[in-house]
Amino acid sequence: MQGLASYIVRRLLWAPVILLAVSLATFALGRFGPGDPIQILQGQYRDPEQRERIAEELGYHDSFFTQYWRYMKGAVRGDFGEGLSPRGFPVNDVLFPRLWVTFQYNLLALIIIFAVGIPAGIWAALRHGTWMDPFTIGVMLFFTSVPVLVTIPVLQWLFALKLDVLPSGGWEVHEYYGVEIGVLSKRIILPLLVLTLPGFAGVARYMRAQVLEVLDQDYVRTARAKGLAEFTVVSRHIARNALLPLATMMGFALVGLLGGSIFLETLLGIPGVGEYAFNAVFARDYNAIMAIVLITSTAFIIANLVVDIMYAFIDPRIRLGAGMEG
Amino acid sequence: METRRLILVLGGIAAVLVVVLGGLSLALLSSGGSGGSDDNGTPAAETSPLPERVAGELRLAGPDPLTLDPACASDTGSAEYIVEIFSGLVAFDRDLTLIPDIAEKWDVSDDGTVYTFHIRRGVKFHDGSRQVTADDFKFSMQRSLDPDTLSTVGSVYLDDIVGATEFAEGKTDNVSGIEVVDEYTLRITIDAAKSYFVAKLTYPTAYVVDQREVGDSSCFSNTEWTRNPNGTGPFKLAEWQIAQRIVLTPNPTYHLEPKPSLAKVTYVLAGGSPLVMYENDEIDITGVGINDIERIRDASDPLNKEFTEAPSLDTYYIGFNTEEPPFDDPKVRRAFAMAIDKQVLSEVVLKDLVVPAKGVLPPGMPGFDDNLAGIPFDADGAKALLEDAGGAGGLGKVTLLSSGRGASVGPIIEAIQAMWEQNLGVTVEVDQEEFGLFLRDLDDGNFKMFDLGWVADYVDPQNFLDIKFHSESPNNEMKYSNPEVDGLLEEARTEQDQAKRLDLYRQAEEKIVEDASWIPLYHGKSNALIKPSVEGYFIPPFVIPNLRYVSVTR
Repeated sequence: MQGLASYIVRRLLWAPVILLAVSLATFALGRFGPGDPIQILQGQYRDPEQRERIAEELGYHDSFFTQYWRYMKGAVRGDFGEGLSPRGFPVNDVLFPRLWVTFQYNLLALIIIFAVGIPAGIWAALRHGTWMDPFTIGVMLFFTSVPVLVTIPVLQWLFALKLDVLPSGGWEVHEYYGVEIGVLSKRIILPLLVLTLPGFAGVARYMRAQVLEVLDQDYVRTARAKGLAEFTVVSRHIARNALLPLATMMGFALVGLLGGSIFLETLLGIPGVGEYAFNAVFARDYNAIMAIVLITSTAFIIANLVVDIMYAFIDPRIRLGAGMEG
Repeated sequence: METRRLILVLGGIAAVLVVVLGGLSLALLSSGGSGGSDDNGTPAAETSPLPERVAGELRLAGPDPLTLDPACASDTGSAEYIVEIFSGLVAFDRDLTLIPDIAEKWDVSDDGTVYTFHIRRGVKFHDGSRQVTADDFKFSMQRSLDPDTLSTVGSVYLDDIVGATEFAEGKTDNVSGIEVVDEYTLRITIDAAKSYFVAKLTYPTAYVVDQREVGDSSCFSNTEWTRNPNGTGPFKLAEWQIAQRIVLTPNPTYHLEPKPSLAKVTYVLAGGSPLVMYENDEIDITGVGINDIERIRDASDPLNKEFTEAPSLDTYYIGFNTEEPPFDDPKVRRAFAMAIDKQVLSEVVLKDLVVPAKGVLPPGMPGFDDNLAGIPFDADGAKALLEDAGGAGGLGKVTLLSSGRGASVGPIIEAIQAMWEQNLGVTVEVDQEEFGLFLRDLDDGNFKMFDLGWVADYVDPQNFLDIKFHSESPNNEMKYSNPEVDGLLEEARTEQDQAKRLDLYRQAEEKIVEDASWIPLYHGKSNALIKPSVEGYFIPPFVIPNLRYVSVTR
């Protein structure tokens, strides 16, 4: 365990270095890239003198490192400055509710993908050699292959217009103990379908492969030979062992929780982070872009760390390795 | 052992989830959520702060405003809300007539440079606490111009006022041309007898704000007050949930007739596809895009009866760099203009969503000349003219600068490319750039030609002709210069006889079209589907306050 602890500490020490590199690169892209927010605000009413004046006032004329230092000083304290959409509002006030929205629907989708994908994979593997195996996987792969740009209008047409059972989109919050929850409304059903349908195949196929591997193991044959009920064999001996590697897959999925889909959020009217990030880039909303990059990369680093630690737990052989930082 | 490890791992994942989730909700709570939720920590599960639909409510899909500060609004998406919440000395009514708003009348001095506004008594801010006075107007206009406010539009609309430019540059601490004569009299002196000046005061930069609440806010910071602004317009901002919804309620003490009769206006900011929402009866009004227009126009479609169209005050065009070859030669420009069949463009490509343009001014704009010949489509003439100017071979590489987000260039530009190819034998490449880069290249004159649109800011031909074609205007990207046109435009600025003035603009426009620094392509039309329960709604040709004319019978 001591090896693991020092490994975690080493990894944690790397995190600020990575964040420094990411933040410098992002900041530089904004400041040295063409166009600036004032120019875009001016649009066709260009007035170079006024632009210079506003840029000066907003500190864009200070040296790169002065600007970077000023921003990062706030950022490490959790203050990401003021954004442009809406203008002059603290980025935190706008971004955190959006991250929360994206996190909620992604988490629910993730749970559903695993909850459906795992049994489906087991089911398909157990019917290996019959038509039902390729059929199940085939149907799931079909949904994976259809782009969301197609799925969304088709589902809207079907559920909102034709059957008239669901709203066409939008985000509706209910308050529980002061927390605004948006995934307990029927408006979440369409986005969930859009998010989960393409995801099932990946989990199911992975699970199916694992189960097929486990099926040939001696202990499965032994379990059957002992006369255990089929359900017990599958749940105790097959599924459990096959699930193990899937745990790491789940870890990687955590990484995506804060990433919003621009298509999903725009077409279904969900006030998440994807739409915000997309527009922030075009508006040169430097502060918002920095905040999004810093927060998501921190989440990414944490999720990766979790995955690595999980590996160490699952497979003692990979513990303590000196070359693990890579 | 294996099983225990698995449980540990899964437990670990769960723990991480709980931590992240908890952290996020804490962050959410400490940052006050998205505003409006003042009952944090309600003990019991409580459902839906979502407003219920009420009788007389108008439901619209709206853009997420970038600002609700009148001094800062540079986009129509923000102005749409601002004109309903705030108001100024003057306004346009639904017939585009300039009407007194908070000013009940105004006098103009004989030389046309001094405007005296008489402010209506008893006009109150929304909170009912105070009457609007001349001092509020001086404060508000000066705030729009103040360099500390960092507005990109303040001086665009107010720089005709004496002393405005110096003040905006930080050289003085007072705009000498705005004087408070007494509590209810405001005197504004402008630098020349420009009769279009009053029209510019309809823009939000001249609207009145409550000086007690704006504090030291600028367009880029401390804008929290706009969450709950104390305006004077026909509607109050009741709720602004960023990216979710905006709710307006009528101002019962509003000073103009008709007073607002809607019980409530709800804008859905995050609703997805507006047409789908309309068909699903989630909103009452929506525009129709090019992909659905044929279906809706079909008389057998159930939505057809709810469909209306109206012209909008804008012009889409191709502009040339008149300082660089090959388009420094008017003959080449004319040849390119003659080679475009605008009829086909409007009817076939754009499915009658637009009207073909002959000149610069859109229909509905004073001075619009229906008899203007323009440069009609003539494939043979175009070819001959180009030959005369040296032929297609002498043009070099011709590129069109276009703005976009990286998708295809769209059917319009593709059609124009094909027309040039076919009628002139010229292959034009399209250089598509993201808007920020596009603007920079326009600034630097780094283009041969570009396509863009110009939308009216106020109802006056000066807003199109002078701003885009005067040789000294910063908005003349074409670097077009014709001393004769400059002369006409300058004369028109101060001509007091409106008929003569419009005639000057007509003459200028004729020459401008002749010189072909623009190929005017088409004027837009706005369209809308309106539920039968909505009465009095009209499609404004540009942003004007129009909700007070609307009622909903349901």
